[in-house]
Amino acid sequence: MITRINVGPIHPGTHGVLRLLVDVDGDTIKRVETHIGFLHRGVEKLVETRMYMQSPPYMEKLDYIAPLAFDELLVAAIEGALGVEVKERAQYIRVIQLELQRIASHLLWLGTLANDVGQLATVFMWAFSDRDKVMRLLEESSGTRMFYVNQRIGGLIRDQPPDFKEHALPLLDYLEKRIPEFEATLEKNPIFTQRMKGIGVLGKEDAINFGVTGPVLRGSGINYDTRSNQDYYVYKKLNFAPQIQYRGDSYSRYKVRMLELRESIKVVRNALNKMPEGDALGLPVRLINPAVKNRIVRVSRETPRGEGMMYMVADPQRPYRLSIRSPSFVNLSVLDHISREHRFADLFAILASLDPVMADVDR
Amino acid sequence: MKTSRDDLIKTVEELQQKGFDYLIKITAVDYVQSLTVIYFLRKMADGSEETVEVELNPVDAWVPTLIKHFRAADWYEREMAEMFAIEIKGRQAHRLLLEKWDGVEAPLRKSFQWAQPYKSDTK
Amino acid sequence: MSIGNPFMWLTQALQSANIVSNIEALIVYAIFIAVLISVFDYLFGWVERKMIAKAHLRHGPTYVGKYGILQNLADFIKLLSKENIIPRNADRLLFMTMLPLLLAFSVFLIFLVPLSPTLQATNLGLGLLIIFVTLSFVPSIVFLGGVATGNKFADISAQRSVIMLVSYELPVILVLVAVSTLANGFNLGSIVAAQSPYWFIILMPLGFVIFFIGMLAELERPPFDIREADSELIAGWFTDYSSPYYMLGLFLDYTRMLLGSLLIAIIFLGGWLGPSFLPPMFWLLAKAVIISLAIVFIRVATVRMRINSLLRFGWIYLLPLSIINLIVTFIIFVK
Repeated sequence: MITRINVGPIHPGTHGVLRLLVDVDGDTIKRVETHIGFLHRGVEKLVETRMYMQSPPYMEKLDYIAPLAFDELLVAAIEGALGVEVKERAQYIRVIQLELQRIASHLLWLGTLANDVGQLATVFMWAFSDRDKVMRLLEESSGTRMFYVNQRIGGLIRDQPPDFKEHALPLLDYLEKRIPEFEATLEKNPIFTQRMKGIGVLGKEDAINFGVTGPVLRGSGINYDTRSNQDYYVYKKLNFAPQIQYRGDSYSRYKVRMLELRESIKVVRNALNKMPEGDALGLPVRLINPAVKNRIVRVSRETPRGEGMMYMVADPQRPYRLSIRSPSFVNLSVLDHISREHRFADLFAILASLDPVMADVDR
Repeated sequence: MKTSRDDLIKTVEELQQKGFDYLIKITAVDYVQSLTVIYFLRKMADGSEETVEVELNPVDAWVPTLIKHFRAADWYEREMAEMFAIEIKGRQAHRLLLEKWDGVEAPLRKSFQWAQPYKSDTK
Repeated sequence: MSIGNPFMWLTQALQSANIVSNIEALIVYAIFIAVLISVFDYLFGWVERKMIAKAHLRHGPTYVGKYGILQNLADFIKLLSKENIIPRNADRLLFMTMLPLLLAFSVFLIFLVPLSPTLQATNLGLGLLIIFVTLSFVPSIVFLGGVATGNKFADISAQRSVIMLVSYELPVILVLVAVSTLANGFNLGSIVAAQSPYWFIILMPLGFVIFFIGMLAELERPPFDIREADSELIAGWFTDYSSPYYMLGLFLDYTRMLLGSLLIAIIFLGGWLGPSFLPPMFWLLAKAVIISLAIVFIRVATVRMRINSLLRFGWIYLLPLSIINLIVTFIIFVK
């Protein structure tokens, strides 16, 4: 007998306003119908009425776990439209901030994952306290703790404080010691591995055909990372390597993110050591009739959740059309496919391993 | 790469045979005189990308579905259908993806009427 | 028959059934047990909150009273003063009775557990059997309570509770068979007496492990809190019970934990045996508290099991191991 259960839009397991209609036979999932759109704000339309540098604050509210990612993406699109080069020191600082943002975002994801597989918030609390330390660092670098709005065309609103490196390196060492602790708490527990391995398998062909991105794609054994494949900023100089796992289940997605945490720490450390002296300030916010060089721009960036893309048709004052490709949107669309024939309890472990942010899905 | 909507399936299949196996995004732009639907494709093997553009008449806007070629097209087409009032032919009827209210027609078209801002009654 | 004692007829009836000898003492003992349970529930609720907070790098309750010790009282008052909502499509009678019934079961079982050779309500010859037979009613009550709310999450939770019963009950009973052969009977007092040189945890460590895991499942403690899995089933069979019932549920949790710890202490850890400078009841309660703390430690560390893997675990590991335990016990100890 098939029962249809309504999960959400308010439910402790969905982390946001996601509604799932789950058809279960006893405890086995037969079908998942995903209802999204509860947070749809029409940002793409809203941006058409705003001047260029009025829009980044809206972009930060898309993926509110990693606000900087989409902020920087829009600024990069505007830079592409105006044909502005980013100063080299600013490139380094942006990489540092983006990677710190990725660390913060992945730490939050780790906490919620542990919560969703039923741990009593232990790893959740640990990860949150560590995330807060990373956000302190970001605050020191950018000026605000959560919603930064510090990206300016061609650079940043301000340079980093001079003693930033001395503050950042000890924290990176601390995090490097901390990540094995998180892993030990989870991976040494056979119940955890049992609940992650072989669950929610997304094969290689399916991963490509469904168009998933980011850790979900790399968890299925496909070596595609926008940071290395599209070569933006200074990632090539920083010894960056994409992290890949091959099983395609929840466990490999988990493992990819854990490895990415280490990789990000490495990249930040390299960037801090190699950062050149110089100027990092961008153009002022008020652009009076900027000269648009490229009418159509397309920019891709590796956000913590996958490849974010912006396609912009530029007018002199404001975007004529801004189309946002949100990584959570595609990753969430695969949920029905990979959670069939699993247990109801696994649905939330799978959902957590996809790591969608609902504000980003709905835009 | 520009093509017409009648040749769209053929073009996409040719590209698929060349190895373009990953659909990044389907989006549309309303240029008032015409409506452009854009398909971003990628070859996962080497990361090269290809763009397919289809120009439509805004009055008679429909495109064939690509859901048989890319399952990623499913949600993108639904999103585009409700944002631009572009009919997707050849696929099953679907419920609205992002919007749940009535009386709103194609919010991302340029002809979309913004709600009047609230004005207070006091003078 | 004198008129002085209105309960004489009851006493006589009970005496003729050979259950109790002194009804007044019984009432006093019942009050004592009620106070004991309340104090344990209250204090252990606070201890658990503080311990979990320490493990989480938090502070836990701090403001109400010294070290936040009155926080639970404040919560208690708040929960009692809230509205009790009964869903429209719930079965009112079952909805209202099942939770109090469950609590009554647990309190009654603690009442049956002897606290020392002299401090006990009754000396039942089949005490062990009666307690575990009564305990195995719990999932059926949970099932009724879950179905009665008419909520689909509660429904799944109710189904899970029945599956859980199948998975852990048999190994626990097999361990108890081994225990009763060692103790020559089902009387809890004689079980403790039989442990006087060596506790049963030394004589059959395997049995202890199986029994401890079984009791964790019995008490719905993590990693077996499958019925109330909060990240997937919201609160399981508890979802539609509003505030006063929720408080009752918390009370029930700790009462059952006391019961489980007492049983583990009596059956495997020598019950009230201990150095004689303190009364025997102290040793029993101290052991029970230590076991409860261990259960809380497990709660902090582990993640939740899936229902089918619990079933697998029960039948593939626990059941054969409990049979091996039984056979080994027979070979070594039974002449």
